[in-house]
Amino acid sequence: MLGKLGLSAIPWSQPIPLITSLAVMLILLGVLVLITVKGWWPYLWREWITSVDHKRIGVMYCLLGVVMLIRGFADAIMMRSQQALAIGGPGYLPPEHYDQVFSAHGTIMILFGAMPLVLGLMNFVVPLQLGVRDVAFPTFNSVGFWLTASAALLVNVSLFVGEFARTGWLPYPPLSETAYSPGVGVDYYLWAVQISGIGTLITGINIVTTVLKMRCHGMSYLRMPVFCWTALASCLLIVATFPILTATLAMLTLDRYVGWHYFTNTAGGNPMMFVNLVWAWGHPEVYILVLPAFGVFSEIFPTFSGKPLFGYRSMVVATLFICIVSMTVWLHHFFTMGAGAAVNTFFGISSSIIAVGTGVKIYNWIFTMYGGRVRFEVPMLWSMGFIFTFIIGGLTGVLLAVPPADFLTHNSMFLVAHFHNVIIGAVVFAIFAALEYWFPKAFGFRLDGRWGTAAFWFAFVGFWVTFAPLYILGLAGMTRRLQHINFPEWAPWLYVSAAGVVILILGVISQVLELVLSIRRRDQLRDTTGDPWDGRSLEWSTPSPPPFFNFAVMPNVEGEEAYWGIKLRAIETQQLSPEPNYQPIEMPLDSPVGFYTAFFSFVFGFAMIWYIWWLAIVALVAAFAGFVVFAWRDEHEFEVSVDEVARADRARREAREAILARLARQEAAP
Amino acid sequence: MTDTGLPASVAALRRVREDPHRLGHRPHDGREPVRGIGMGTTGPAHKRIIVGYGFWIFLLSDIVMFSCFFAAFAVQRDATAGGPKMADIVDLQRVAIETAALLLSSYTCMLSFAATNVRNLLLTQVFLFLTGLLGLVFVLLEAWEFIDLANRGITPQRSGMLTAFFGLVGLHGVHVTAGGLWLATMMAQVQVKGFRRHIVHRLICFNLFWHALDIVWIGIFTVVYLIGSLS
Amino acid sequence: MSNLESDPARFTATLDDREDHAPGDEPQEAAGHWVLNANIGLGFSVVLTVAAFALVIWPIVYGPAVAVALVVLAIAQMGVHLVFFLHITTGPDNTNNVLALAFGILVVFLMVVGSIWIMDHLSHNMMPMDQTMQMQR
Repeated sequence: MLGKLGLSAIPWSQPIPLITSLAVMLILLGVLVLITVKGWWPYLWREWITSVDHKRIGVMYCLLGVVMLIRGFADAIMMRSQQALAIGGPGYLPPEHYDQVFSAHGTIMILFGAMPLVLGLMNFVVPLQLGVRDVAFPTFNSVGFWLTASAALLVNVSLFVGEFARTGWLPYPPLSETAYSPGVGVDYYLWAVQISGIGTLITGINIVTTVLKMRCHGMSYLRMPVFCWTALASCLLIVATFPILTATLAMLTLDRYVGWHYFTNTAGGNPMMFVNLVWAWGHPEVYILVLPAFGVFSEIFPTFSGKPLFGYRSMVVATLFICIVSMTVWLHHFFTMGAGAAVNTFFGISSSIIAVGTGVKIYNWIFTMYGGRVRFEVPMLWSMGFIFTFIIGGLTGVLLAVPPADFLTHNSMFLVAHFHNVIIGAVVFAIFAALEYWFPKAFGFRLDGRWGTAAFWFAFVGFWVTFAPLYILGLAGMTRRLQHINFPEWAPWLYVSAAGVVILILGVISQVLELVLSIRRRDQLRDTTGDPWDGRSLEWSTPSPPPFFNFAVMPNVEGEEAYWGIKLRAIETQQLSPEPNYQPIEMPLDSPVGFYTAFFSFVFGFAMIWYIWWLAIVALVAAFAGFVVFAWRDEHEFEVSVDEVARADRARREAREAILARLARQEAAP
Repeated sequence: MTDTGLPASVAALRRVREDPHRLGHRPHDGREPVRGIGMGTTGPAHKRIIVGYGFWIFLLSDIVMFSCFFAAFAVQRDATAGGPKMADIVDLQRVAIETAALLLSSYTCMLSFAATNVRNLLLTQVFLFLTGLLGLVFVLLEAWEFIDLANRGITPQRSGMLTAFFGLVGLHGVHVTAGGLWLATMMAQVQVKGFRRHIVHRLICFNLFWHALDIVWIGIFTVVYLIGSLS
Repeated sequence: MSNLESDPARFTATLDDREDHAPGDEPQEAAGHWVLNANIGLGFSVVLTVAAFALVIWPIVYGPAVAVALVVLAIAQMGVHLVFFLHITTGPDNTNNVLALAFGILVVFLMVVGSIWIMDHLSHNMMPMDQTMQMQR
């Protein structure tokens, strides 16, 4: 009846996961009780859970990502402390638990932390920057988000019910085959990643279509902000490579569930094919994360330097170059697997070449700052920290791209230091910069920069104190994923690294404090202008937060940096253009189908993990039925009345006129 | 302003002077840009184009997924682990019938789309039904093939080659089955709701899906069955 | 500070059914054009398919060349399908459609050829798996 599920699935004997999950459940229960007592359910259901508004979905993606980043960071704390405590001893985490921790850390950080944040940013920003009212397929957007969220839930359930994979964040066979991993850990991984992968693919298709087909009037390709270009490139990579992941994991699933021989080491299976396929996804995945990060910096540098982006067109070319070339470098993840000189040389060269595109971008950002009036606001701090950190991470990457050098450093702590250097240095820094930068647009008030500045410095210093020793340890010969360490001479570096984590914890606390304090002081920090940073692209032409229809009248773009030109003209002529002739607007109707589908996907995933076949079938049928019912509806859109549109836009115009007047007074004053 | 009457070289020279790197902002041939397809500066595309294009992107991703299974088959082709070889399990006659059924179903699917374009409900439904029927024939033949092989002890558990074979062909079969479910749903929707705009959009998507499955089948019958039967 | 206004006449978000298609893609046009395409596509496909099966059944072509010939025929037939059934070249937005297709083909090419190349080198350089297994025993 319940398949493999029983009371023994709960890790009674392991206090750490048990206490953690009890604490998490208590917190969750508390939140649910609070929501119920306060009577917030109808509001949440109506405005958030069933919402198909790209801004709401973007915010929910980011929220999910931030929570998962903290979860993944907790794993990181455990790993660093275990390695510091387990020098010549067993430490406090037994091997089978430690292996789950590092597998969960990688999986969660990449797929459930960074990915939702990047997708959330793209969802929120791209339609606003392109001057449109929503993405191409709003309801599917909601489905995509909820699938990702339910997959994240599935990963976290593994903490309390059963176990997680002990195979690393990419479950290499034959270790991940049933013969060597008979438990449910790998199954949790497979189904969670599979479900979130479908969600990601949906978002990818959505953004590609939005960018290529829905730009507002006048927004030709070469007038798009660079963030939209990078979002396009990143989503093209999603569309091109997530199916590879889906296929690879489906093959492993077939091996595990019905005894096929794709990757087994018996009967003609080929474990190395898994490594080949999974990295054909895995390497582009890195660029899926980092390209939007580059886009974020390409927005922040011009804004806070008061200058247009240097070399816009070279930036676009570099983005597309990286997009294509990133699909031809995957073998550098397994140079040591034995492909031989010809293959290794090809992929070594292509891996080095891809750094050229990135180099172009770095110079462009530096030249954007040159001669500008640089304002050292928090987003700019993260961006400048990024340039410093990322250059070093990139250079160690070029080093690893040389096969002979890679033979020495493969699977060492040097590699660990390298990819944290690029992923934290670029993606995580970009995420915090972007959250600070677009927070006022999403919520209508700025974050208090003081704690943000503290968070940046803690993170920046903490990062280097944590990871610089790992470079040294790697060169000294320490391999990755060690549960205990037998070389006392490594101890000092491991202690330094653990101390770095303490600094990083301070950074996380500062970031949380910044958020909490800003929310409490939101009235002083209110952004009434809609343009708190003196921005240059279209999202700053809307009020903060934007109305659900984004633009009362569709913009008509006449050049690059769409909003900057409009703003200059308004200041020059001391007036806004005449009030337009408002029209009613058609907006997509909200729908619970995303939540519904995701709920049954979760049930399906859980049932498959525990071999509860009847429940899996029920869930599949229910999900299909839900889709048919949804497809049967007649009304897809509702009309926003002229009055409502006019009211929203007139309020916006008043705010803008007030600024114009203030600027005029400042000009007049001596 | 048109360039008619000018020698081509003069027109080309003028174009270069106006936009030296031909980087856009203006169509190259001087014609009015087409509205409603989302190109250039003409604003958002029409819903029909958006839906079709989004589905086209999805299909490409689906084909990438198939390509992984093709790659796995190519890599594991000789991994027979002492079991049957490809040439031992191919039944060309059945494959020929399957191919004919799927090709004809693509044809009737196209005809149903032609009927949709003139808003002819009866013919749309008839051709959709024929499409589904031919798809059913295909799926049944494939199921028969798999059962037949299983009865001879040829299962995916036997060897890496057979795993890759069943995986690739089975994945296509699953797609056709899912397409059949979708087709049944579409027929019901067309019958009840008629040719509303979003129903027609879905028919466009279904049409694309069904043709794409046929394209994948071309790859399968060539690489798996025909080339497989050679050795 | 914004004057994000445009000529409302240019904004066509609310479309009636007549406008819901791009120029050159008139839904109400006669079905003949589509039927003609379907007939041509079917004709080409039948010829190419029959040719492919014939190559295998009868020894028409020099033996070792058959596989290559089959691949050529398959690619030709895929092209026929793309042009006559999927209409990727004649749609009003065909530039983007074809670009997307080219991108897809590039990815498929990289995936399949890359995997075969890499795995071929691996199996050339590595001991076969069954021998590895025997060593472990």
